[in-house]
Amino acid sequence: MISFLQPLALLALVAAAGPALLHLFQRRVPPVVPFPAVQYLQDAAERHSRRLRLRNLLLLILRTAILLLLVLAAARPVARVPVAGGHAPVALALVVDHSLSSGAVVGGALVLDTLVARARRILNAASTDDRLWIVLADGVPRRASRPEAERVLADLLPVAGRLDLGEAVRAAAHVLQGDGLPGRVIVLSDNQATAWSPGVVSVPVLVWEATAPAVNRGLDSARAIPGIWTGRGRVQAAVGGTGGAAAIRLDVAGSVRARLLASPGDVVELEATLPAGWYAAKVLLDGDELRADDERHVVIRVMPPTPAQVHAGAGPFVSAGVDVLRESGRLAAGTQVTLHDQLGSGTRILLPPTDPALIGTLNRELQARGVRWRFGAEIGGGVPASSVLAFDDASVARRHRIEGGEEGVVATVGGTPWIVRAGDVVLVGSRLEPDWTDLPTAAAFLPFLDALINQVAAADAWVVEAWPGARVQLPEGGVRLAGDPNAIAVSGDGVVTAPAAAGVWLAVRGADTVGALVVNADARESPLTPAPARALRAALGPDVRVSDQVSVAEVFATGVARADLTVWLLGLALLMVTIEFVVAARVGRSTGGS
Amino acid sequence: MDARRLDLLDPMEVAQLGDLEFQARGVVEGFLAGSHRSPFRGFSVEFAEHRPYQPGDDLRYLDWKGYARADRATIKQFESETNLRAMLLLDTSASMAWSGAPHRLTKLAYAQRLAAALGLVLLSQRDATGLIAFDDAVRVLLPARARTRQRWALLAALSRLVPGHGTAAGQALERVTDLLRRRGLVVLISDLLFDRTLAMRLLQYLRHRGHQVLVFHIMDPAERDLGGPPEARFEDLESRRSVVVRPREFRAAYGAAVEAAIGAWRSACRRNGIGYAHVTTDMPFGVALRHALARRTRLG
Repeated sequence: MISFLQPLALLALVAAAGPALLHLFQRRVPPVVPFPAVQYLQDAAERHSRRLRLRNLLLLILRTAILLLLVLAAARPVARVPVAGGHAPVALALVVDHSLSSGAVVGGALVLDTLVARARRILNAASTDDRLWIVLADGVPRRASRPEAERVLADLLPVAGRLDLGEAVRAAAHVLQGDGLPGRVIVLSDNQATAWSPGVVSVPVLVWEATAPAVNRGLDSARAIPGIWTGRGRVQAAVGGTGGAAAIRLDVAGSVRARLLASPGDVVELEATLPAGWYAAKVLLDGDELRADDERHVVIRVMPPTPAQVHAGAGPFVSAGVDVLRESGRLAAGTQVTLHDQLGSGTRILLPPTDPALIGTLNRELQARGVRWRFGAEIGGGVPASSVLAFDDASVARRHRIEGGEEGVVATVGGTPWIVRAGDVVLVGSRLEPDWTDLPTAAAFLPFLDALINQVAAADAWVVEAWPGARVQLPEGGVRLAGDPNAIAVSGDGVVTAPAAAGVWLAVRGADTVGALVVNADARESPLTPAPARALRAALGPDVRVSDQVSVAEVFATGVARADLTVWLLGLALLMVTIEFVVAARVGRSTGGS
Repeated sequence: MDARRLDLLDPMEVAQLGDLEFQARGVVEGFLAGSHRSPFRGFSVEFAEHRPYQPGDDLRYLDWKGYARADRATIKQFESETNLRAMLLLDTSASMAWSGAPHRLTKLAYAQRLAAALGLVLLSQRDATGLIAFDDAVRVLLPARARTRQRWALLAALSRLVPGHGTAAGQALERVTDLLRRRGLVVLISDLLFDRTLAMRLLQYLRHRGHQVLVFHIMDPAERDLGGPPEARFEDLESRRSVVVRPREFRAAYGAAVEAAIGAWRSACRRNGIGYAHVTTDMPFGVALRHALARRTRLG
């Protein structure tokens, strides 16, 4: 294979057309010369014009070839040439993709087993002068001797995480460039299209592709709805990938609580009733060749109905709604949460007072209580949005600006805070009455009120989702993540590396559960469609080769010999010049000699 | 007269000295001064008269007894020698009016001077000498005479020659056969750019009639060594035929073609007992005349 160190010089190839163009432009009308002995000229022309035409054609070809060779030489071509008796030292970076998708089974064997076997073949062919680098699922290149690399391969298992092959190859290329030897990155992978991020690589890359299952079903997501159950709730799961319908079930503590049939592309809800408490649940899909993406962990928190009361200042719609929720068992009678337009003790859901003159007093009381948020001037409405609360198609007509704080925004209207939480106080920017918002007259009002009281006001726990091995920031530090098999201590800043295995880790402070870390595989590992070579070259650069049939000799071809062809081309050009000189001289000297 | 020998000067220099008569006389005098005997002599040995010795005359014909008696050198002339009839055939076609360089005479100008010199030599020996000038037809016809005024008539005819058109050597040669009833000398001065086969047939006929024939093949040096611009359309002056060539590429091939043509003329003439002299227009007239003399001597 030939590549060029100065490819821009190839632009000068147009100069190769020079001799032909000169030939064409020189075909002008020649001057007329009176000459008496034309008959001798005609005799000579008849005998020698054919030979002259052939020689002129030869000269044209030679001159064009000389220009071509000079331009090619200027482009500094290099070629890899085999060397007899083994190979010259080479720096190899082996990217072994043992991400989640490597756990797929093809032909009765794990894809990872195929990748490891190939890696061993490469290691067996490596010499002591070669330099080896191993890149695993964390994407970090590590220098390794041959025995060390073999030990790493022996312990390798599929992980739940995702490997960005593009980043891994670029990191490997970076270390190879500083190695001083001719280098190549060898990617041992199922070559998932979703695993490649774009970015040019400056060293040759050989992707030794392993066959992946033709179809694969997987769970793209699973989450509890609502986030905090009051007795009964649902788990919403999205099925992705390809293939036919399969059974999907909700497993809570080893007990199947719900079961459905779902096909790829479906979003299904699995209902269950659970007593109060924290539950590490799993959504399970019937297994296929890639088992790791057939389950998804989800944390379910179930709370008893929140004791709540309504003050008249909250308005008649709120009062009626709370009554309905009490009757249906979603709320209990009590004073844990109070809905009012004035501030008092205990947990409060604070609505703006009807009389605007009372806003100032209310804001001073909030400040005195240490709440930084306050009610501002009344502004226009809009469409509310929230990740916790559902509004359906309800809209807001009037609202007070809620300002002064930074954290605890629960819902927004037009991008500015509408419902915020600060400690045990929840501020709502609009009164829940028809002239402020059409929510009280909408079907979404009771679920909204339920979630506002049970999840926003009464709950004080958090749930963080992460991918295996990812660095995550928890809402609070100094907690212990209790899970299987080991508990993880979290430092005071709340930053923690998620476990490599998928699962649910409950955050415990003392005897209380204050939140949960849910670790699930990256859903991008489920699509197993391989990346086409053309797409890879577009993403990484031209020096990328993809094949499922690779010989070990090819792997080491990078270092076999990288011959600079410039001298050869210049030598060939010199030879051409010599031939051209001889032919041209013969044309001038001995055309009619015979 | 110039002390230098005009017969050995560059023809262009000679052409710049006076009129045609002056140039011809200068050439002839130089030529005869360098010769040991007269260039042309008759066939017979029957004595006719004496004439004064001229430098270059063959000493075999010096009248030694007379010289001893009168202390005056005279040459014995024989009957048939005075009866030699010579006809100069001069080609005045368009191709003759060409010169390859400004410092050289045209072939016609050179031929004029060469013919004049030949004529003076012949007339000085009292040989009857005539002139036929032709291009595509006979343009000038001066019958052969040996009288004194013939010299002026010959020079005047030569001076008035102008370049013509095509070449019809055959017609001129046929005319010569009519004019020369007795055996004589025919001198053809031409660039020979015409049909060689036809011309040779007529020259052979003249030979059969007992005439001596001498051919001066006039060429400009540029006709032997092709030059010119890198690429040119070379156009014939008479037929207007043309050919486009690059002289650098064709020089050798052209040279070979010219040499082949010269060789063909030379060998054809030799086969038929015809004297052939190749003369270029940069050749001194004396050298050209000696070539002619050598050829004629060999023919006997």
